[in-house]
Amino acid sequence: MKTHPLQRALFVALVIALILCCFLAPYAWIVSSSFKNQLTLFNDVTPLSWKAFFPVEGTLENYRTLFERTNVLRALLNTAIVAGGQVALTLLLCAMAAYSLTRIRFPGAKIVFVMILLTFLLPIEALMVPLYQVVSGLGLSNTLLGIMIPWIASPFGLFLLKQAFEELPVELEDAARIDGAGHVRIFFSIVLPNVKVPMLTLGLITFLFSWNSFLWPLVIVQDPAHQVIQVAIAQQGSPTQLPNWGETFAGATVATLPLILLFLLLQKYFTQGMTTSGIKG
Amino acid sequence: MSVPNILTAASAGTKARARKPVTRRQKRDWVFAAGFLAPFMILLLVFQYVPLVVMAKNSVLDYSLLNPAVAKFVGLRNFTDMIEYEDAAVSFGVTFLFALGVVVTVIPIAFLLALFLNSKLPARGLVRTMIMLPVVTSAVVVATMWSFLLDPSNGLINGVLNLIGVGNQPFLTSTGQALPALIVMTLWQQVGFGAILFLAGLQGLPPELTEAARIDGATKRQVLWNVTIPLLSRTTLFVVVIMTVFSLQAFAPAFLMTQGGPQEATNLIVYHIYNTAFIMQQAGYASALSVVLLLVVLAISTLQMALLRSRWNY
Repeated sequence: MKTHPLQRALFVALVIALILCCFLAPYAWIVSSSFKNQLTLFNDVTPLSWKAFFPVEGTLENYRTLFERTNVLRALLNTAIVAGGQVALTLLLCAMAAYSLTRIRFPGAKIVFVMILLTFLLPIEALMVPLYQVVSGLGLSNTLLGIMIPWIASPFGLFLLKQAFEELPVELEDAARIDGAGHVRIFFSIVLPNVKVPMLTLGLITFLFSWNSFLWPLVIVQDPAHQVIQVAIAQQGSPTQLPNWGETFAGATVATLPLILLFLLLQKYFTQGMTTSGIKG
Repeated sequence: MSVPNILTAASAGTKARARKPVTRRQKRDWVFAAGFLAPFMILLLVFQYVPLVVMAKNSVLDYSLLNPAVAKFVGLRNFTDMIEYEDAAVSFGVTFLFALGVVVTVIPIAFLLALFLNSKLPARGLVRTMIMLPVVTSAVVVATMWSFLLDPSNGLINGVLNLIGVGNQPFLTSTGQALPALIVMTLWQQVGFGAILFLAGLQGLPPELTEAARIDGATKRQVLWNVTIPLLSRTTLFVVVIMTVFSLQAFAPAFLMTQGGPQEATNLIVYHIYNTAFIMQQAGYASALSVVLLLVVLAISTLQMALLRSRWNY
């Protein structure tokens, strides 16, 4: 049975419309509602009108109270510091380890590699309680360093960079070696500049993971001054106990916007990193 | 991932060198390698291996995190308690049901989305971006968003249901609807990730195979069922394991949307562990629960590795 091209086109259009509705509508509702007061917000939903998805008669009131009355700004800054630090340190440490494992033959390399390989399988959430004891035992509870430090030695990051380093032809380094360059110079001036894409991919995945992490910061930080954005907006409240939905929606928007923008700009690398890893922050 | 290749390459390297005497330059290289590896390995030991040991030790203790110095050795009682009291069985049961629900809904829908995205399509990039947005959105924001979407009186989903003549549903406050609601939410969040994994699998298939089948007179449907789907078994297994492991570790939905309720209907295991350790201050029992969770996840990952290595090698 042959389907008519017009039928097919109609079917395709319908499916695309359905997908866009399912995935776009919740975002449109949240973002446009963040510009509304409670009454308008509710009236647009029951009965449902097109206005639910557009900020008609919008107000910036929710954002003003959000930034004035809560510690969201501080939390955003903390999150940026944690995510930035975690990206920088993960890239540096993983790249150094990957260089040793791919460029130098040394005894015990196999054991080291198996040790890293084994941690790949560990479910992070299952280790929450002992990790809390280890990190607070080191005096790092209620610090930004305590939020990021357990994830810096990332086995995923190491594998990703190790693969990239292996694909890099060693001939590139030969000339420098003959000139008497040491490992440090080869690492910084020859290897690193040639693995920009895998480094960018790893950096983005790490940033995503760090920015979105919730359970660990919730556990290790109680002091509001060191809170990250996900914990801050999680503590804003639920629909039933909340006087103002729009304010929570404004918080969710603020917490998500930086990541969505980054994703839209660098989607290719995000997708690449995720398909190779199978890891999701 | 070519893990086995790397392993054999590393061992071959050590063997070849063992015959020659060690030069000074080699020694210098070894010291350098150790120095370059040290920061990574120290952090790995302190934050992955030490907690493992601490967890095993704590699972035979009775203590609280507020005062860990006062700990009592109780042998395997934490584990026998798990069998005796219902909380662990209920929580693991809920979690498995949740994982099962996520996997059986994500796999077919993600696969269909991938097939759709792999065909000639207007606005393909736009569709791909849209389905990936929830993947990069944090669990907290998704949970917050959905607790409002699912609100019994003013939520958007009830607004849509009212349009088609269905009355308001309680969703998260109903024992029967809460877990399915969380499964649908997780499906919404994860299906795009499944779809891009399937899409990568589809694009990696050699086109000759499907073309050959078409020339031999197979219908499109036959090609799909007898060529494409079997060829994608490895990808499918991969997606199944990722979704399972991800679901077993879900926390934010239970914490933010239902507090494990109503009547423990959504008491996911990581939330249960969190509550036991940090709220009820029974860290020993929480450690024992963590040990079981760890073993379950390791068993699933190991099974996956074994399956990937032995069968379905096309």
